[in-house]
Amino acid sequence: MSSTTDAVSSSATESSVGVSGAPKKRKRKALGTIFWISICWIGVVFLLAIVASWIGLDDPNNGDFSLINSSPSWAHPFGTDDLGRDILSRVIYGARVSLIVGFGAMGIGMSIGGTLGMIAAYRRGAVDTLVSAASYVMLAFPALVAVIAIVAFWGHDIWKITIIVGVASTPLVYRVIRAATLSYATREFVTAAKAQGATDTRILSRELLPNVLPTVISYFLIGVATVIILEGALAFLGLSVPAPTASWGNMINESRTYLSDNPWLALFPSMAMFLFLIALNLVGDALRQSFDAQESKL
Amino acid sequence: MSNEQSSIAFPSTEELSGPLLRVKDLRTTFSTPRGSLTAVDGVSFELGRGETLGIVGESGSGKTVLARSVMGLLPRSNTTQTGSILFEETEIVGAQEATLREIWGAKIAMVFQDPMTSLNPVVRIQRQITESLRLHTSMDRAEAKATAISLLSQVGIPSPAERVRAYPFQLSGGMRQRVTIAIALACSPRLLLADEPTTGLDVTVQAQILDLLSSLQSARQMAVILVTHDLGVVATRTDRIAVMYAGHIVEMASTKRLFASMAMPYTQALLRSTPRISQPSHTRLIAIDGRPPDLINPPSGCAFAPRCTYATDQCRSERPPLRTAAEDPTHLFACWNPLQTGNAGSITTAKGEN
Repeated sequence: MSSTTDAVSSSATESSVGVSGAPKKRKRKALGTIFWISICWIGVVFLLAIVASWIGLDDPNNGDFSLINSSPSWAHPFGTDDLGRDILSRVIYGARVSLIVGFGAMGIGMSIGGTLGMIAAYRRGAVDTLVSAASYVMLAFPALVAVIAIVAFWGHDIWKITIIVGVASTPLVYRVIRAATLSYATREFVTAAKAQGATDTRILSRELLPNVLPTVISYFLIGVATVIILEGALAFLGLSVPAPTASWGNMINESRTYLSDNPWLALFPSMAMFLFLIALNLVGDALRQSFDAQESKL
Repeated sequence: MSNEQSSIAFPSTEELSGPLLRVKDLRTTFSTPRGSLTAVDGVSFELGRGETLGIVGESGSGKTVLARSVMGLLPRSNTTQTGSILFEETEIVGAQEATLREIWGAKIAMVFQDPMTSLNPVVRIQRQITESLRLHTSMDRAEAKATAISLLSQVGIPSPAERVRAYPFQLSGGMRQRVTIAIALACSPRLLLADEPTTGLDVTVQAQILDLLSSLQSARQMAVILVTHDLGVVATRTDRIAVMYAGHIVEMASTKRLFASMAMPYTQALLRSTPRISQPSHTRLIAIDGRPPDLINPPSGCAFAPRCTYATDQCRSERPPLRTAAEDPTHLFACWNPLQTGNAGSITTAKGEN
């Protein structure tokens, strides 16, 4: 018997335990040039949209009727449209609509869908069953048709569109965040936090949220891109912000008629939308990959 | 361990009387798709203040479920519990979660098996330690941080002031387990449940962690329930040992008494299956044949009978009650054919019997 205990009681010295890596040296996987170019582009679009009224742009809604459907020139770098309005100015003002609808709707989607997703994954049981069932019902309904119907009845100013699209995006966000939370909710550190007396709210916000945050951020950006496309689709059907307010979707819609006479009219808003969306997707993707790489290191 | 006296007041044990924990006829049943599974079946024991109880048994014997039952941490949806767990004046069986939350961390704390999973990977160590301090005490941020640093130095982490800023993945396994111990000790609990605290660690680190636990325990007058599958782990570090099999306590005695005169063949079998330094190299390790019984349809007699070399017909048909040894009233065992006092530790009798 004594030998059994000898085997384990031979106490080793305290200091012999190695400690790896000082906290200061943190190497992050490089995000790459494309990521930073994309970030800069998103920043530029944001900045222009914010300062649009103060940088001496032409009035986006009142054109110069003597100069309609003109090609790019020094006075009008992007040309003018069928009402003689400056396209550069309209593209920049149009970014406001896309940004508000895109980020606003995803903000709504994330706060409702994301919160519900985290709660459902953490609580499971009846809450999960109920909310998941509701999300399936919403997903089973063709979103675009529903959005068109509601917009047609409720009206289509920019805030209403933001709310409608935001609510329509909740079930998708819910599914993604619920799945992401689920993989953490059963980990032992959640039980450990509970065993320290943490409340459910605390566990959700302090233990689970930091773990789910990478998914939230990358999905948010990709979601914004999707919503901007949806706004474009609504505009194309004439159901986005009412004229004469410029939005990228509205401009593309209006350009249809003049496509053979004045292709610039369609090109610039399309380019703006395309470049902005690709930047969003690249940033979202790069972030996701960077988070994945760090995750595997843990 | 220089700054032992942190700003937390240790509970004075003199003014409180009676056992710290009183478990009476505890039965924990899970409902599974195959039927109900009784993981802890009629367990009773008491734990005094500052006492160390070792709970030993192989996988699936119910020791972890027992520990989590005592804590009240089991999932509520598929678990039914009867009996009573009295911690000081608080009944834990059937308690509201709000009641338990006041005890959790403050009075009962737990060290989990695997420090790789029981620490949040994306939260700094500092916040993981201060979390419960901020929750259960009135400390402000700075005080909590100072306490966290002092706790880290108490659990033997070098340069604690820098280490609090680290993330768990920047620490080794042994360091992480030290951190989980620091987290558990933050509010000076009166009872610490350590559920296989060294299973996930290197052998050399195991001894350090166990020694650390016992030194902290004696310094803090804290009761400890040490759950393990390794009799060697509990041999020198516990006051009493309870051996569990198939959800029952099959033998319970003071550590000295248990090793000197174990009565239960299962305890003997567990001890035999521990490798020893004194054996010549390449000695075949004696394993316990067979597997633990199916707890959904437990056997009618003694649960260990199918694997026991001493089993008789009585063992197979009637469940032995927990009875006291004639020489020592604190020694309890459940066996129809207890081992002779004195032959417990011997290995030579093992093979020939069956």
